[in-house]
Amino acid sequence: MAMATNAKLSPATGDILLMVGTVKGAFIFLSDRRRGDFKMSGPHFAGQSVWSAAFIGNGAPRIVVGNKSNHWGAMVSWSDDFGATWNEPTEGNIKFPKGSGESLNAVWALEAATALGPEVVLAGVDPAAMFRSEDRGETFRLNEALFNHSDRPKWNPGFGGLCLHSILVHPQEPKRMYAAISSGGIYRTDDGGDSWTACVNGLRVHPDVPGATLCPHKLRFDAENPSRMYLQNHPGVYRTDNEARSWVTIENGLPSDFGFPMVAHPRRGGSIYTFPLISDEFRVPRDGSPRVWRSRDAGASWEALGKGLPDREGFFTVLRDAFSADTLDPVGLYFGTRGGQLYGSNDEGESWRAIAEFLPPILCVKTAIVD
Amino acid sequence: MRVHIPSALRRWTGGRDVVELPLAADMRMTAAEVIDALAREHPGIRDRVLDEQGELRRHVNIFIDGENARFAGGLKARVGADSEMWIHPALSGGAHD
Repeated sequence: MAMATNAKLSPATGDILLMVGTVKGAFIFLSDRRRGDFKMSGPHFAGQSVWSAAFIGNGAPRIVVGNKSNHWGAMVSWSDDFGATWNEPTEGNIKFPKGSGESLNAVWALEAATALGPEVVLAGVDPAAMFRSEDRGETFRLNEALFNHSDRPKWNPGFGGLCLHSILVHPQEPKRMYAAISSGGIYRTDDGGDSWTACVNGLRVHPDVPGATLCPHKLRFDAENPSRMYLQNHPGVYRTDNEARSWVTIENGLPSDFGFPMVAHPRRGGSIYTFPLISDEFRVPRDGSPRVWRSRDAGASWEALGKGLPDREGFFTVLRDAFSADTLDPVGLYFGTRGGQLYGSNDEGESWRAIAEFLPPILCVKTAIVD
Repeated sequence: MRVHIPSALRRWTGGRDVVELPLAADMRMTAAEVIDALAREHPGIRDRVLDEQGELRRHVNIFIDGENARFAGGLKARVGADSEMWIHPALSGGAHD
């Protein structure tokens, strides 16, 4: 794979898109399904941070992003022509109620929730809340039940803020959804968001003292069994087999229990990927040797995948939303670093190469196949 | 009075760098009322200057006749018919630059 070149994008059906949000803008990468040669466009929203992105297909392609100006605020913007032009809402489209005392800091998660409807987009934000759009990301409405949850006074912002970063919608029973909050916990609704229940039985907290707040970092469904999920927690890596009613630790075999992302194979149940860092106190790969770790048995055992990654002097961090899989066969994996490198694998993680090396610090990497 | 618009917000004023708001000679307004009046003509301005609770965004400054409004009553700072008001991105820097 050659290094990406900057170009106007002309996607065709079946092409793969990488939507990369950084602290200085968004970059869009496009390749045909061979993934040999990525073209890049960007920066979009130059000078703004782009925390989240999603692709809405259904015959009318749209990219939505959560962009933030440190001066002028955060919002959701969209492009219907793969980034050639952008629509920024005249008035803010994610707002907390007047009198609530809260104001939007950043949009951490955007998910095209097709199980809920072809036009539905869900947003997770800082301060922790979920918003729902019925019009492909143009306007949003607050989920009041989670915003007013009785646990809210116990939630605590981490270094990154008080963010709702993971939103999972059960593919067959879409009234069942999960939301993960740092630091706050994991919440499940079985009634489409009218009520939410904490699902943290078995998780340990950081710091591990009574009364401290739980800090999940990234939550993903198993590809074949949505009762099963995987979690990179602040301390610990976990699996649930019963819709988050209880959690078991699966970190045995990993070099550490700390990290941010968790990625699941899109088709093969039990196959997951993490990017371990040394510890909460030192958030870099062990020995300066970054490795993706894979389990193919739902966390019972792990193997390091590092071909093509630095063997030494690789002290970069991968943030929770900066690691994604595509849906091609074999699956492609992509992660972005706080050092501005974008790595890709065309062979399910066996080998890696840089797609871009000198981007601004990367906040999110999302993939989509153009339909 | 005249409101000076920073370059980043001129897309919301049709490219104008100054917007004139006619005020009677003896009339006074608050900075908040100026932003309201400005936003009636140019609705993209309000949410970029103020957050949803109506507070001036942390990294936005308003200067009125050469004085930072933060030290002159904030959004309650007063302007008159001859006032010049600047909306300006704060010169902020730090960890995430």
